[in-house]
Amino acid sequence: MSFVRVALGFSLAALIGIPAGLLMGASRRVRKYLSLMVEMARPLSAIALLPLSIIIFKATTFAQLLGLEHLRYQKHLLNEMQLGMIFILLWGGVFPIILGTIQGVRSVRKMHLEAASILGAGRFFTFRSVIIPSALPDIFHGLKLGIGRCWMVIIAAEMLPGTNSGIGYMIRYSYQLSRYDIMLASIVIVAFVGALFSKGLEFLGEKSLVLRSRER
Amino acid sequence: MTVLRVTSLSKTYRESSGDVHALGPVSFESEKGEFLCFLGPTGCGKTTLLRTIAGLEKPDTGEVELPLHSEGMKPVIGYVFQQGALFPWMSVYANIEFPLRAKKIDKDIRREKVETILEMVELSSFSFSYPHQLSGGMQQRAALARSLIMEPDILLMDEPFSSLDTRTSQQLQENLKSLLKKTSTTVLFVTHNIEEAVYLAGEVIVLGHRPGRIVRRETIDLREPRSRLSDSFTEYLVSLRKTFELLVSDQ
Repeated sequence: MSFVRVALGFSLAALIGIPAGLLMGASRRVRKYLSLMVEMARPLSAIALLPLSIIIFKATTFAQLLGLEHLRYQKHLLNEMQLGMIFILLWGGVFPIILGTIQGVRSVRKMHLEAASILGAGRFFTFRSVIIPSALPDIFHGLKLGIGRCWMVIIAAEMLPGTNSGIGYMIRYSYQLSRYDIMLASIVIVAFVGALFSKGLEFLGEKSLVLRSRER
Repeated sequence: MTVLRVTSLSKTYRESSGDVHALGPVSFESEKGEFLCFLGPTGCGKTTLLRTIAGLEKPDTGEVELPLHSEGMKPVIGYVFQQGALFPWMSVYANIEFPLRAKKIDKDIRREKVETILEMVELSSFSFSYPHQLSGGMQQRAALARSLIMEPDILLMDEPFSSLDTRTSQQLQENLKSLLKKTSTTVLFVTHNIEEAVYLAGEVIVLGHRPGRIVRRETIDLREPRSRLSDSFTEYLVSLRKTFELLVSDQ
C-alpha cells in the first residue's frame, strides 16, 4: 500500500517538478518569481502539513474523487489513496526534484550552448538535444533525493491517524500490540525498500552520468 | 570575391578587477577560399576576434560584414573550438548529424552526408563511439567533420590542434589541407604555433599583445605540398619568429 501511494505521489512530484525546474532553470524571469516561493515552501516539513491537508482534503480518497462512491466500503486500492496523503507526498518530493533540475539546466557548459547555436540549432532544438541531456544527471540526483523524501514522509504519515493500511501503520499497530518482531521486520523492510528506490534511480541515471563526468 | 570584411573591430571586457582591452581596433578582409592564419602570443585577443566574428561576442566598436549576406544569401559560419565541444552524450555519428537535424534535413540525406564525411575524416569505424572513447586527435577530427558538414562559407578555427601532441597535430594539419582542397571555404585559423601557421596559411597575420592589433601581414608563397624542411619554409619560420620575439620582449 505504501508503495502504491509513494509511486503515485512521487510520479506526480516528478511530473510537476521536472517541468517546473526546467522552466526555472531556463528563464531568469521565471526563476526570480518562483524561487522565493520555493525557498519558503521547501523547509516546511511535509509532516507539518499533514493535519492541514487532512482538514482541507478531509479523508477524501481517490475512489471518491473519481466518482466511484460504490467502492466506499470495499477493500479497494483507490479507497486507500487519501488525497491528503498524496498531497504531502507531492510536497515532500517535489522540491529536491525542482532544485536538482534547476541545477542541471544551469550547469550546462557554455561551450556546448555556443556550439549548438553556431551549428544552427534553434531554441527548442537546443533545449531538447543539449540542455536536457546535459542536465539529466542532476535531474536524476534530484529524483533520488525526492523519492527518499517521499518514502520518509509516507511512513511518518501512515503512523498518524487517518489510515489503516501501509507499512507505517503496521509499525505503529505492532507497537500497540507489543509485537516488536513485526515492528522490527517492518523497519528492516522500510530500510531495504528505501535503498532499492534509490539504487534503482541511480542505475537509471548511471549512463547519463558516466557520459557527462568522463568528459571532465 | 570578399566574403568577410572586418572594420576597426575592438572589444573590451569589463571585469570587476578593471577593464581588459582585449582587442583592436583590427581591420581586414578575406577572400573566398582564402586561408588566413592569425598568429599571436597568449592573450592577444585571437580568440576574442574569432568569437566576435562568429557572433558569440558583441564588439564595442567596428563591424563584421558578410558581403554574401547583402546579396541575399545566408552565409554559413563554422567554428571549431580548442577542444571538448563535442556533445559527450551523443555518439560521433549523432554529433556530426546535429547541424543537419537542426536544419530539419531529411533523414536519408542526413545519413548519406554523415557517412561521406565520416569517411573523409577516417572515422567511419568509430561512428557509434562516444567522444570520451576517442583520442584527442580523433575528437578534433570529429569536431572538424561536424563543422564541415554544414558546408560553411567561413570556417573559424580556434587553436583546434594545440592540445594535441606534435605528431598528431601535424597529421591533422595535413588532413585539414586535403579536406579543404575540395571546398571553397574561407578559413580563419588562430594559433600561437608559428610552424603550424607557415604550413597551413595562405596569409599570416601577426597580432600584437593586449590590446590585439595587427603588427604584420605576410603572404606565405610556398608551393604545395609544403615541406617543413625546405629552406624557404625555414626562412618564413625564422622571419616570423623574429617578429614574435620582439612582441614578447616588448611586453
